[in-house]
Amino acid sequence: MSAKLEKLSQNLQSVLGDRIVSLVPALNELTLVVAAVDYLAVAKILRDHRDLRFDQLIDLCGVDYSTYGGAGAWQGRRFAAVSQLLSVEMNWRLRLRVFAPDDDFPVVDSLIDVWNSVNWFEREAFDLFGIMFSGHPDLRRILTDYGFIGHPFRKDFPISGYVEMQYDQEQKRVVYQPVTIAPREITPRIIREETFGSVKLNDHG
Amino acid sequence: MSIEGVFKEGIVTTSLDSLINWTRTGSMWPVTFGLACCAIEMIHTGCARYDLDRFGVMFRASPRQSDVMIIAGTLTNKMAPVLRKVYDQIADPKWVISMGSCANGGGYYHYAYSVVRGADRIVPVDIYIPGCPPTPEALLYGIFQLQGKIRRTCTIAR
Repeated sequence: MSAKLEKLSQNLQSVLGDRIVSLVPALNELTLVVAAVDYLAVAKILRDHRDLRFDQLIDLCGVDYSTYGGAGAWQGRRFAAVSQLLSVEMNWRLRLRVFAPDDDFPVVDSLIDVWNSVNWFEREAFDLFGIMFSGHPDLRRILTDYGFIGHPFRKDFPISGYVEMQYDQEQKRVVYQPVTIAPREITPRIIREETFGSVKLNDHG
Repeated sequence: MSIEGVFKEGIVTTSLDSLINWTRTGSMWPVTFGLACCAIEMIHTGCARYDLDRFGVMFRASPRQSDVMIIAGTLTNKMAPVLRKVYDQIADPKWVISMGSCANGGGYYHYAYSVVRGADRIVPVDIYIPGCPPTPEALLYGIFQLQGKIRRTCTIAR
């Protein structure tokens, strides 16, 4: 871990204290996990505290952990919202993750009052994963069709969906009908020697 | 009222037909309907190097002024009602060119949840152009094929 990340890590620990669920370095950045109850308060501190100054939210995405590490391997909560933060002033970045407490009806707070760039990212996470963001002013679907049912990036959503489109000659309009093809998923066969390209494979493959 | 098939074949009717077909093939105005990356190739075909204007093919922004629709790209479920509406707004006679794998049969997204598995599920298609995306030459060839198809139709003679 570089000196810069060490400094950021120390600042986070001194500022947030026991509100940190976990703080680990990954892929040359820090990943901060907080509880859903602290999420909004921590976000405000991350933006406003003079030792942190995360003034920009670059991205927010949903994650479905239900098949993470293989079926049944993941013991934690199913849905998480992960945001990428950037401080222009301090020139450092942070990954902020919050797990939704309820797997059947995942709800986390909206960050719209902290960073308003999060508006469409939260709509996207709602559309694709079904994560509700409480406090969001306009939580509609953003990508899928009007009246679409289901959340396609959930791991239990079939690749081919449930419905398909066809023009109906009698009704003179485009209608939905149940899907008529069998879903086909091909897992690529990987042929690679363990030491190919003299790359040492670690635990993550 | 249609006059199709009313008159017998003869020197007058067939000559009139070839005149009509000449006017139709000489100014095929496609409605601008680029949906995805195929649209880039369609734009190339319309620009200076391949220059569709040479063949009287001029892109129009309104379906009311068009008689051809080039479906260039992936047709998603969300776009399908719009495509059908634009198609319905084109005045007869009208033709449809399906450009690229996605419009032909879903292509890369055939098994996806959000893509129509072929534009011919939504509108009747005259010419299918294969490719992902088709080259401008392929689109030109498709347009020539459509011209050939129009020339073979008889509007007046039976």
